[in-house]
Amino acid sequence: MKVTSSRFSHKTAFVVDHCPYMAESSRQMVECDMLTKSRGQGVIPLAPVSKSLWTCAVECSMEYCRILYDVYPTRKLVRSYVHYIVSDSEFHSLNSWRQEDQSTQELMAALASVGPPNPREDPECCSVLHGLVAAVESLCAITQYQHEARRTLMDVADRVANRGRIICLTNAKSDTHVRMLEDCVSETIQEQNKLAAGSDRLMPIQRCELVLVHIYPQGDDTLVSDRSRKELSSVLSSEVHSVRAGRHLASKLNILVQQHFDLASTTITNIPMKEEQHANTSANYDVELLHHRDAHLEFIKSAQPCFLCTGDLHMAGSTSRDSGLKETVTLKWCTPRTNNVELHYCTGAYRISPVDVNSRPSSCLTNFLLNGRSVLLEQPRKSGSKVISHMLSSHGGEIFLHVLNSTRSTLEDPPSISEGCGGRVTDYRITDFGEFMRENRLTPFSEGVLDASGRTSSERAKAQLERHTRYWPMIISQTTIFNMQAVVPLANLIVKESLSEEDVLTCQKTVFNLVDMERKNDPLPISTVGSRGKGPKRDEQYRIMWNELETLVKAHVGSSERHQRVLECISACRSKPPEEEERKKRGRKREDKEDKAEKNGKDADEKAWPDSERLKGPQEREKEEQTESEMIKDSPDSPEPLNKKPRLMSEEIQPPQKSKGPVSLLTMWTNRITATSRKHEVFAGRLNSVNNKAELYQHLKEDNGMDLHENGKATR
Amino acid sequence: MPFVALKLSEFTSTYHRSGAMPTVVLMDSSLSMTRPVSQEGSEEFQRKNLAVHGLTMLFEHMATNYKLEFTSLVAFSSLWELMVPFTRDYNTLQEALSNLEDYDKTCLESALHGVSNIVQQEWGSTCPCQVVLVTDGALGIGRGSLRHSLHTLKQRVEDKKFPLPFPFPAKMFIMCIANVEELQSTDAMDNLEQLIGLNGGEGQIFTMEGPLCLKSVQSMFGKLIDQAYTPFYAVLHCGNLASDVQVFPRPEPVLVDEEVDPIPKAVQTDLEIVGFIEIADISSPPVLSRHLVLPIAVNKEVDEVGAGTTEDAEEEPSANQMAGKSPNFCVLLHGSLKVEGMVALVQLGPEWYGMLYSQADSKKKSNLMMSLFEPGPEPLPWLGKISQLGPISDAAENPYGEDDSKSPFPLQPKNKRSYAQNVTVWIKANGLQTDVQKILRNARKLPEKTQTFYKELNRLRKAALAFGFWELLKGVAELLERECTLLPDSAHPDAAFQLSHAAQQLKLASTGDSQYSAFNHNITPLHTDFSGGGAGDRM
Repeated sequence: MKVTSSRFSHKTAFVVDHCPYMAESSRQMVECDMLTKSRGQGVIPLAPVSKSLWTCAVECSMEYCRILYDVYPTRKLVRSYVHYIVSDSEFHSLNSWRQEDQSTQELMAALASVGPPNPREDPECCSVLHGLVAAVESLCAITQYQHEARRTLMDVADRVANRGRIICLTNAKSDTHVRMLEDCVSETIQEQNKLAAGSDRLMPIQRCELVLVHIYPQGDDTLVSDRSRKELSSVLSSEVHSVRAGRHLASKLNILVQQHFDLASTTITNIPMKEEQHANTSANYDVELLHHRDAHLEFIKSAQPCFLCTGDLHMAGSTSRDSGLKETVTLKWCTPRTNNVELHYCTGAYRISPVDVNSRPSSCLTNFLLNGRSVLLEQPRKSGSKVISHMLSSHGGEIFLHVLNSTRSTLEDPPSISEGCGGRVTDYRITDFGEFMRENRLTPFSEGVLDASGRTSSERAKAQLERHTRYWPMIISQTTIFNMQAVVPLANLIVKESLSEEDVLTCQKTVFNLVDMERKNDPLPISTVGSRGKGPKRDEQYRIMWNELETLVKAHVGSSERHQRVLECISACRSKPPEEEERKKRGRKREDKEDKAEKNGKDADEKAWPDSERLKGPQEREKEEQTESEMIKDSPDSPEPLNKKPRLMSEEIQPPQKSKGPVSLLTMWTNRITATSRKHEVFAGRLNSVNNKAELYQHLKEDNGMDLHENGKATR
Repeated sequence: MPFVALKLSEFTSTYHRSGAMPTVVLMDSSLSMTRPVSQEGSEEFQRKNLAVHGLTMLFEHMATNYKLEFTSLVAFSSLWELMVPFTRDYNTLQEALSNLEDYDKTCLESALHGVSNIVQQEWGSTCPCQVVLVTDGALGIGRGSLRHSLHTLKQRVEDKKFPLPFPFPAKMFIMCIANVEELQSTDAMDNLEQLIGLNGGEGQIFTMEGPLCLKSVQSMFGKLIDQAYTPFYAVLHCGNLASDVQVFPRPEPVLVDEEVDPIPKAVQTDLEIVGFIEIADISSPPVLSRHLVLPIAVNKEVDEVGAGTTEDAEEEPSANQMAGKSPNFCVLLHGSLKVEGMVALVQLGPEWYGMLYSQADSKKKSNLMMSLFEPGPEPLPWLGKISQLGPISDAAENPYGEDDSKSPFPLQPKNKRSYAQNVTVWIKANGLQTDVQKILRNARKLPEKTQTFYKELNRLRKAALAFGFWELLKGVAELLERECTLLPDSAHPDAAFQLSHAAQQLKLASTGDSQYSAFNHNITPLHTDFSGGGAGDRM
């Protein structure tokens, strides 16, 4: 995921010698007739086969590319391109810098069409030089990324770097021959740079690194000596590796790919695996992975001598089995216990490539991960403390090594959110906002999709959030309409950017339905707490509801003419009782009180309601109720409280399905609280406050009524 | 020149990771700190008193604005001592500060080693830290002096390296209880500048202006506070819902080292939610840093630039208490994120994003956290470009399915990785042997295994052709012919036909004849009367 510091890694040109001498056998024999041993006598085993120098060169370079494409797929931040060229009597370019050509399958197909070198071809006409010249030319050619970079940085286009590396796999004759190859590359660069200076489609090479790998058959003495990197000119540096074909060549190229692309090795140890033969036994295996070395940042840094604690960290094995000289860090597999999705604090994620991709342990591990499971990795420590430092996880068919933060967090023990602003409020519309979040989930759209007003997908997402939040009360006691099931169709539609005729119809139906409810005098989920079910009068409740609905729809009225029609529908249909002004005044008073009261009720829903509050509740309500009843008495248009009471009782007993909103539960709870409060001693006094007459056997009546309550509602 | 700022941008690392920033106060307790300051007033101050005064001011500021920051106090002379390990208890720090004793000469190198060890033991080597060195600029004499340390810089052996640059990202603030003239009269200033240079240019030297007095030390520490300890306030938006927040620790600007031009990016003060994603889909993404998002009371005027003196900060708790009872969007968001197991994708600036989520510290305490992704249009490959993420309502059908059974994430890369596509690698002999054995095993189970037999055969053929390994094709052809002769009498007659057909095809391919050796050509089963039209592979 990180920008590589390898400055030559953007462009790699592979030049593989395809001259007749490469057809020579590497003399490394492979026994492929393994089963004959177990079979009866008389079976003549097949003679072992041997790879040619060409086959060795090709498969090792393909392995280099495989690791490279695994760890740095080209479309990411780090763009690593490979141009594969083979050379005999002329050069054959097997691919180009184009994105589509950057895959091992493409290269395999191209290699197959070239075939192995023809041993009967005239050696005099053949040379790796053709390929080297072509490689230099191709380094001057602009890659897709460079092209884009130059386009976006018009004025500073010259700052786009052009550096590259040529890896040449050949069989050289002598050190003099090597020098001749180097000189040729150096001269070609000079020529090409001159050409490129005068061209728009070419870029001069700023730096080039030539890596010459001389391959010779096993058992032969090398005719070419190793040489570490040397500056041949201000532009070109060169190094020579003299390697025996086969295993040695493979490990050499493995080391090179690690050096060239800042890779490091991790060995996952203790992976439990079922034995192929004995399915009920399991053995532990190790798998070595390559990845960007930053995944080991913590180890690299803490391995500095000034750090006293280094001794604790076990830098396993100086030599890893597979990658020759390179160090590997050993991490222990922790068998995942649950499939819980957790959000780990991860400081880096790096693509991996298994060193031995085809081995059974490797493929078991990668398949396990590709199936969607994650594995935590533990640092083996001498001191025995368990430190989980990494995690392997796949995302969309790519496996990443995640670096987890294993040191003390500087954010430990923060104050809880409930201790801060808004932390004491307990009736947030958590569930509703959850629903809101689900509706505002994101999904990928194809590149370059813009809507009519030229907005990108994410801008549209933000615009949707804006529309959906134009009227969005955060707490339950601030809203009536969002507590009503009946409003849902309209509330869901009105936030849309545009409405269809059908949508308008649905909205209108919703409004008619509300009108109908009002006509039938259906109860609204406005809090009735504190006034023992009385609350604001029914028409008052509807007025509040209609006002809120209007607020919601008005917020969207500018969206379209159809939105406007929904508002008109509401204005036309809603009840407009006389003396509205006067009512408003009084209503406001009531709303305040009711808000407060409802909050209490809601608190009971949330567990956070402190005990003291709960005890206090009924008494407070008692007081409120007293003032309430006084007020009702004063009000000219209010009916006699006594008349109303029986009706109210029956309403409360009504099964909750009539008021469908989530508040029905609340009402039930409220009733329960109210019922409980009636057991208190204040009971008698309260009766008095309603009516000064003391009726005979009133206690008996009330008790009966209460029993009915308890039985009628099987809330518990 | 009030203070000297060194910024050597070419030394800065690819990403300046910002996170919580613990502070180490490194206090010079050498004898020279007891030098009196000439003053007209009745009371006589030592430089040490001024230093303590300045640090007290810093501690007070942090106690109110940076409550969650960890600070430790190290005193040094020729030796060093950890006076207070990392703590949030500023009283302890203050107390230790006032009980500091005076020791011998200044030896900065060993003290910096000490700082390096203390930080790494506590926080590891990835956590950025701030080191506040308080000194009078008399940097010792002879061995152990900073001058000596710097002179011998190049002659160090591996295990006696100079402690700078620290193995962890660090900013070094040098508070000089001295003025510029004094420091420039010796080589002290040069040496300190060199020290900052060794720290990769990350840091700053502060000196006192005018006479050495309480006022000038206050102004110097005020500048430090402005520079390094101002709280970061922002507004978190989700459409029309919004909340004022403090982001703690404050997000530091990030340097993006692209191949062309490093562009420093700062988190903007309007944090805009783009949309929501399931935790399983965002899938433990790598982040640059993590921050608490603390809702704050809507103050009449939040001074974003000023150091926030202790007076006006003191009113905040009570205001906060009041604010506890009025609904806040952060609390709502946190609650729903927690319940739904989701994160909110938040835009931090142009082409820079992060995520908001609920982080539980223990069962009881949980918090709204923000993690910053690497700047760029596509911070996570499995989400794709953020600008291409849109609302689900724009999609033809809900990509999450009607019952949330599906997900549009993760995005699949164009090309499969090698481990996901059954590549052929024969670098090790056993890779090749396994592939040949697979073919032979299936060969013995013909015609039942006809399909697998040919699948494996074609895989081997393709690889052998690509690697120019014609010898192998011949070898395997011979093996198949031999198998043919070894077939038991009970064998299905089809087996012999298929084996000799396969052997013949391999031999043809090994001639390089383009008609038979085409890479994309596949050997298909021979149609025989026995196979009855379908050599069914009953696997």
